[in-house]
Amino acid sequence: MLQILIYGAVSSAIYAMLAVGFTLIFGVARILNLAHGSFYALGAYAAYVLTSLLGVPLFLAAPIAVLLVAGFGVLMERFLVRPLRASQLAVLMITLAVSLAVEQALFITFGSEYRNVPSFVADKLSIGGVDIGGQRLLALVAGVLVLLLLWLFIQRTRLGAAILAVSQDPEAAQYMGIPTNRIFSIVMAISAGTAALAGVLVSPFLTVQPTMGLLPMVKAFAIVIVGGLGSIPGSIIASLILGYSETIVAYMISTSWTELVSLVAVVVTLMIRPSGILGRRAAF
Amino acid sequence: MRSIAPIDIAGGIALVAILAVAPMLVSSNYLTGVLTVCAVYGIWASSWDFMSGLTGRENFGHSLFIGAGAYTAGFLATIWFTNPWLSLPLAVVIAVAFSLLVGFPTLRLRGPYFALAMLSASAILQRLCLIFWEYTGGEEGLYGLDPLIKNPLHYYWFVLGVLVVTVIVLTLLAQSHWGLLLRAIRGDEATCQAAGINVTFYKIASLMISAGFAGLGGALYAHYQLQVSPPLFSVVVSITVIIMVYVGGIGSIYGAAVAAILLTLLTEMLRGFGEYRLWIYTLTLMLILFFLPNGLIAPLWRRVTERLR
Repeated sequence: MLQILIYGAVSSAIYAMLAVGFTLIFGVARILNLAHGSFYALGAYAAYVLTSLLGVPLFLAAPIAVLLVAGFGVLMERFLVRPLRASQLAVLMITLAVSLAVEQALFITFGSEYRNVPSFVADKLSIGGVDIGGQRLLALVAGVLVLLLLWLFIQRTRLGAAILAVSQDPEAAQYMGIPTNRIFSIVMAISAGTAALAGVLVSPFLTVQPTMGLLPMVKAFAIVIVGGLGSIPGSIIASLILGYSETIVAYMISTSWTELVSLVAVVVTLMIRPSGILGRRAAF
Repeated sequence: MRSIAPIDIAGGIALVAILAVAPMLVSSNYLTGVLTVCAVYGIWASSWDFMSGLTGRENFGHSLFIGAGAYTAGFLATIWFTNPWLSLPLAVVIAVAFSLLVGFPTLRLRGPYFALAMLSASAILQRLCLIFWEYTGGEEGLYGLDPLIKNPLHYYWFVLGVLVVTVIVLTLLAQSHWGLLLRAIRGDEATCQAAGINVTFYKIASLMISAGFAGLGGALYAHYQLQVSPPLFSVVVSITVIIMVYVGGIGSIYGAAVAAILLTLLTEMLRGFGEYRLWIYTLTLMLILFFLPNGLIAPLWRRVTERLR
């Protein structure tokens, strides 16, 4: 029982880091970023290159990896997405193309075999008789911290207020003197950075390979649909729901069925409440 | 949208004649095989174009229907050992069932739900194929399908025939009142709804038609390869089909089919590039998005024929 509680929390935290970035860039810039999964994969690979190939110490490698991927996200938004922003379809196509290009680039440079990244913390902790790897616990703590910081940033700073303003009405925000395009870049950096951080944190205990980004991104889609497109609290609630239901299914039935959980959740949500748990905008 | 002119029909007949005769002139089994794959991709691309090109609802998981059709053929051959010809109609039925499963909850809604759901569904089904390897053969897939027609050349002609029928049926549908409605939905969904058009019905019905042809193509492909494996469900297959439609000129159907044939031939020629092939594909897509948003084949054909008129 306690095991479910802890492992569910870990996967919820990772899902939340992915989903919040995805929903943020959609909510603010209306960019539906199908390359979100490649940020996650790039984060994991950057951690691998820095630690295993260049011998950079871990605590230094993690922030460097996050910054690199955030930079990549900003460049992608500036040069590939922004010129095509007029058409929603073109944005979907270009981001999907980027995600395939990244996957292929990883495949060509590193091959398809699994890569290992050393753990940040090797120790195992025992909480109430449940053994849990220190790395998973670190992922949980870091995830919660990042989400808290993000919330404080958006609610308490001027820049956060500007982001909220743009998400509510980009044109009015522009008239008030808010540089909308710069806000888009900043939000893209945050979105790519959190996804990369998730990738860095899971890299020691999950397999690092070129296609690793696709399935977590599909989970992020599911979470964002269940939580309501564009709503950050909604996607956190949905992450908890999905993270725990997957863990429960894995323990009660079998791990084989966990992949179906997100699909069922999406179908049920779209049938009953298409705008999601906390989606304000009616989807109809 | 102009109607079908005699010159279009003449061009079509000429192209089909060239395609039909080509393997007899060279008489190599290799070319026959490549052309069979060309025709199958033509079916997939034109079926994608019918739904997504006309209504503007991008389907990022066409491989879901392709894989469903192919695996139907695979299961029929390896588990139930039935007449292989049965797999064609059954593949259509199963693919249409999948289209209802995804289309019904998502196409009622505005917003990006359909695109996300299709991409997710195909990715998850590929994953399920690996997880339930006892039934699906896992990574290896299912082997030992029977060929529908023993002679490869005759089978190629059969698939080419199916492609021709597909393009004709879809073009006639696209030219009809029905196609006009689909294009109107692409233009302005809210206005269509206000005009009393049952928008959801038309979108779901066109997805069903699109899925049916894709499933048929999947089964034909399975009976050509004589095996099915999980990569049929992959995003790469979906994106390859989408690139073909974009090159052909979105919404033109014949353009998609011609582009599919040309690009598949080109892919064979690029075989030397090995793993860089998909890169080249992806870059092509990016260049087209930026510089040729209307595609290549259909606008070119339109310009050429206007001179001749």
